[in-house]
Amino acid sequence: MLKKYLIGMLCIALSVSVISCKKASMANNESEHQAINRIEMLFKQGGTTVSTIVAEDPDGDGGNPPSRIDNINLDINKTYDVEVKFYNISNGVTKDLSPTILQQGKQHEVYFVLSGLTLPIEKKDKDENGFPIGLISQWKTGNAVGQGSLLLKLMHKPLIKGANDDSNKGHSDIAINFTLNVK
Amino acid sequence: MKNLLKALKISVFCLTALFIFEAEAIAQECNFRLSGIIYDGTNQQILSGATVSILGSDKIALTNKSGLYRFNKLCSGTYRIKITHVGCVPIEASLVVNSDDLTNQNFNLLHSTEQLSEVLVSSKYDSDVNSIKSSLTVEQMQKLKGGTLGEMLKQLSGVSVLQTGSTVFKPVIHGLHSQRVLILNNGVRQEGQQWGAEHAPEIDPLVASRLTVIKGAGALRYGSDAIGGAVLVEPRSLDIDTGLRVELNSIYSSNNRMGLLNSIIEQGIKTKNSAWAWRSHLTYKRGGNARTPDYWLHNTGVQELNYSLHAGYQRDHTKADIYFSAFNTKIGIFWGAHIGNLTDLENAIKNKTPLFNIDEFDYQIGRPSQEVSHYLIKAKLTQELSKDRRVNFVLSHQENFRKEFDRALIDNNPELDLNLGTTTADVNFETNRFSNTNQQFGFTVQRQANVWSGSRFFLPNYTNLLLGLYGIRKWDNNDLQYEAGLRYDYRSLEVFRNQNGQNFQIDRQFNNLSSSFAINYVPNNNVSWLNNFSLAWRPPHVNELYVNGLHHGTANFEIGDPNLNSEISLKYTSQFNYQWNKDTYFDLTLYTNYIQNFINLVPVLPATLTLRGAFPTFQFKQADALLSGSDFTFNTALNPSLSYRFKASVLIPRNLESRTWLQQMPAPQIDQEISWYFSSGKKGNYISTNALWVARQRFVPDNFIDYLAPPGEYLLFNLNFATDLRLMKTPVNLGASVFNLFNVRYRDYMNRFRYFSDEVGTNVVMRLKINI
Repeated sequence: MLKKYLIGMLCIALSVSVISCKKASMANNESEHQAINRIEMLFKQGGTTVSTIVAEDPDGDGGNPPSRIDNINLDINKTYDVEVKFYNISNGVTKDLSPTILQQGKQHEVYFVLSGLTLPIEKKDKDENGFPIGLISQWKTGNAVGQGSLLLKLMHKPLIKGANDDSNKGHSDIAINFTLNVK
Repeated sequence: MKNLLKALKISVFCLTALFIFEAEAIAQECNFRLSGIIYDGTNQQILSGATVSILGSDKIALTNKSGLYRFNKLCSGTYRIKITHVGCVPIEASLVVNSDDLTNQNFNLLHSTEQLSEVLVSSKYDSDVNSIKSSLTVEQMQKLKGGTLGEMLKQLSGVSVLQTGSTVFKPVIHGLHSQRVLILNNGVRQEGQQWGAEHAPEIDPLVASRLTVIKGAGALRYGSDAIGGAVLVEPRSLDIDTGLRVELNSIYSSNNRMGLLNSIIEQGIKTKNSAWAWRSHLTYKRGGNARTPDYWLHNTGVQELNYSLHAGYQRDHTKADIYFSAFNTKIGIFWGAHIGNLTDLENAIKNKTPLFNIDEFDYQIGRPSQEVSHYLIKAKLTQELSKDRRVNFVLSHQENFRKEFDRALIDNNPELDLNLGTTTADVNFETNRFSNTNQQFGFTVQRQANVWSGSRFFLPNYTNLLLGLYGIRKWDNNDLQYEAGLRYDYRSLEVFRNQNGQNFQIDRQFNNLSSSFAINYVPNNNVSWLNNFSLAWRPPHVNELYVNGLHHGTANFEIGDPNLNSEISLKYTSQFNYQWNKDTYFDLTLYTNYIQNFINLVPVLPATLTLRGAFPTFQFKQADALLSGSDFTFNTALNPSLSYRFKASVLIPRNLESRTWLQQMPAPQIDQEISWYFSSGKKGNYISTNALWVARQRFVPDNFIDYLAPPGEYLLFNLNFATDLRLMKTPVNLGASVFNLFNVRYRDYMNRFRYFSDEVGTNVVMRLKINI
């Protein structure tokens, strides 16, 4: 009696050990991130791009640190139209996320936090509420030569975005330090 | 058939009597004793190891070598008791305990070959004699209803909670939690994503009629890796004598305007030579933002929908039951705690009140949030092989789905989506063949597979195969009871990774032997001294080995170490209980837990640099640790209707390698309570007040770079009230509680969101329970 039961149960128990109910062996690519891992700043004069500044971290957060953060070099006494573009690059596919950010303009704002020098920077684009977004901006260099740094921030602030928010309001989606030279 | 009808009639009478006498029951003084001897009805031999339980309470006694059971500290009144023994028909009886100091009542049990048993599925668990444990009483359970499992369990001394904001509570036993605490849901090991500090147990506490915490590795039968202890979530036994019974619970919490509705419907059906019973349970709850004394916490709502169905069948010597349960929750994660990078964190901490909070009430749950579902199906077969031998077979499958939503940037999909499936087969053989002993042995086979998806890698895919073999023996020698257990585990882990399109597999194997030994010394009615030694092991979990990523909502970058070894715990626990009289007793538990290779998340430099800024970085590392401490309870009656209780616990968490303290360990605390039982000391009618004092945690690592020093001590007052009423002959229990009566502003060291906000303020909870 006991033997019969134990054998029967052993059989079922063993079958549990060979059941493979999921495709655990087909792992997703860990390096694929839908997050922003490439940023471009296009400096334009009269509609023509004169300089493209890139920051890139192809394997996303962690792993290797950002592989490329360019220096920004500007000329004195110039007016630049600056366009900031955000991309996701994975598996050789480049996805432009800037239209999504523009579409969710009510939740986002781009900041240019300067230290070591000052430049007038004016954000040219506005969200549905008339608050600045900052994907498009205009920069004016004066006649002074200088070196400093630029902290580029993309702040995410759903429901709390206001007209004159400081650059610490919300969560940092992007925070990159560039070296900035004006010569 | 005649016998059946008779039994049915008697049971119905007893049940009716129970309701009628309920009002008078448990009245007046509470210093009576009940004892007696349990005999084998066929040959009048004494039965040792029979379980005698007082229904509707947590009191359980086991008969000793002489077949003797005893209960102390009973109030006068009518009790309904149940006696069970392997291979015998359980019996129930109503007893009057009155002015005599000692009530003696003997019982005869019959073998189940002659009759159908009244209890289809016994909720008896095997570790009850010699493990150091504490349970919530029926009154405590009732007054804590509406809270999560963790919130309920923290009422027990030695148990605390690890909190994530106001919505996520994890039980902590003697300083240990997550993978180190095993949770048994109706006899099945809960297998969810327990590794995460912000992952609460996926269990509705309203399925349970009893919640027990085993302190230390006492549940060898269910695995040896729970070196912290075990939580037993046990539903009431399915009862074929119930008839149709309906229980309705309705709860309202003022702080987060939470409403909860719960129903339990059960029924027992007897046919000529078989018996059926079933129970269903349904809970829905919805709460909005919680409020601290000064502001609302935006996005801290909660929604839950849980249901279960349990059905049992018995015929001759075979019992079978099937259990299905579903748990679904959506939890909001406090907005102000969801930060981008180290700079955001520093800014948040600098402010005394949360930055960018929306200070208003709302039921809406937006991002960040968690959506968790847990499904369990379990089939159990018990075969009585002879009057003193039986075999249990349990087959179960669990599916756990966890979705974690951060801030949406691109789409509405969760950043992290995990699915864990677990199939377990468990065979257990039990025998009482030799006098005064109980043996059981068995084996477990478990297969597990975890699959992740989402836009943020955190935990790799894996499969896990576990084989466990164990044997446990208990024996009784007059004043001394012993229990010895041995368990062998083999675990094979296969991890599947894909980095930049390159697939590779990592295999790890773990083997280990665990054991436990307990001696319970009971020289007389006043003293009991229980000693437990255990050697247990825990293999590192996949997250500790291979995690690599940003932790949900914490701005911590966590890195695993693939070379970690198993933790080995050697724990000694001693529980000394002294009883002056029926109301005055103390209970002192002392423990010391030496853990070799304790796995700990420690800060490392440099910070991880990303395009989102810098993140503080933590790595899993091993060090030898020593966790020692004490839990103390003292209870006394000031007069027949007024009682006083004192509870204290302290833990000294030492890191032996760095000669400093371990971080994130509970601070010492003292809880004092005065209860007034109006209506002549009846247990269901009381007003109580308790004061909980929690010290500032001074045992923090010297070298640990914490962003904020541990918060100061705090003192909270709570009020509780309950009364049993009869509304048009329907028994109704009405209760109310006020938590944090004086709306004290405080923060707790064990809350991971203590950097961002205060704890919740005053909360008034109203409860209504109706039995139809």
